[in-house]
Amino acid sequence: MTKVLAYCAFLHRTGMSLPEHGLGGAALHEIVLNELRVLWSEVEWPFDPSALQRNAVEFHKVINHMFSQGAVVPFRLLSVFDDRQALADFVAAHQKDFIEDLNRLQNLVQMECVLYFKPQAPTNSSGTDYLQRKADALRGAEACVADIRAALSAFSHGLRTRESKNGSRIFVLVERGNEQKFHSIVQDLPVPERLSRRISGPWPPAEFLTLKPRSG
Amino acid sequence: MQNDFEPVALAGASDQDISLLDILDHVLNAGVVVHGSLVLSLAGVDLVYVGLNVVLTSVETALRSLQAEEKKRNLR
Repeated sequence: MTKVLAYCAFLHRTGMSLPEHGLGGAALHEIVLNELRVLWSEVEWPFDPSALQRNAVEFHKVINHMFSQGAVVPFRLLSVFDDRQALADFVAAHQKDFIEDLNRLQNLVQMECVLYFKPQAPTNSSGTDYLQRKADALRGAEACVADIRAALSAFSHGLRTRESKNGSRIFVLVERGNEQKFHSIVQDLPVPERLSRRISGPWPPAEFLTLKPRSG
Repeated sequence: MQNDFEPVALAGASDQDISLLDILDHVLNAGVVVHGSLVLSLAGVDLVYVGLNVVLTSVETALRSLQAEEKKRNLR
């Protein structure tokens, strides 16, 4: 069965380049609504399970190609449409939201810092001790998030956090060109014992979209 | 499943600090969702759950493979 896979929405500018192809070498097409564009291609659906990792990387490459040139609103990989018309209808119904988000996020990227509990080598301590250490570490993560928020306040355009059972994930909006500055500041902040940190980015600012359509 | 926050280097992407798990996380968890099309059923089985199980299995396989490659490189 063939479905339509949408990659991302962006605002057209003269001189922009498109990726050579989509998933599995598929031809890339555009939905065009004035300056709004949405890249798509036809894919075999459901995906071949053995190709999912490759598909994820190729999907990411298409989005990243456009993101390197400006703001994008990414779609999710497993989000597909029945045909081109279904995608066109979807884009037309949400074009105002797409355009507002793309204009608002035009020169911004999303940086991330993950703080996570990293247990040490197994010891003779009990499970209760382990859980206590983990709880202490996660409390330390809350203080660390506050430190990051304060340290970035001068140049952050937004900060959101998401908690998980193993730690905290911090999403920060910064202007393009400030990625290294973000990295340096966050890297230099002290992290409590038993917590590790990982920094990544730039990513499309998906955590900061006001557009969260879930049609259906 | 390995700790979901552990970094894993993506082979061939040494110029960028991007991991395969990061990419999978972002392309599957971030961005616009078209719920109606995601929920496809076949013979009463929801393909979304089938799909996500496959992804998780697939990630685990990828992690083992990448870690094995990394160990080999370190031994050389």
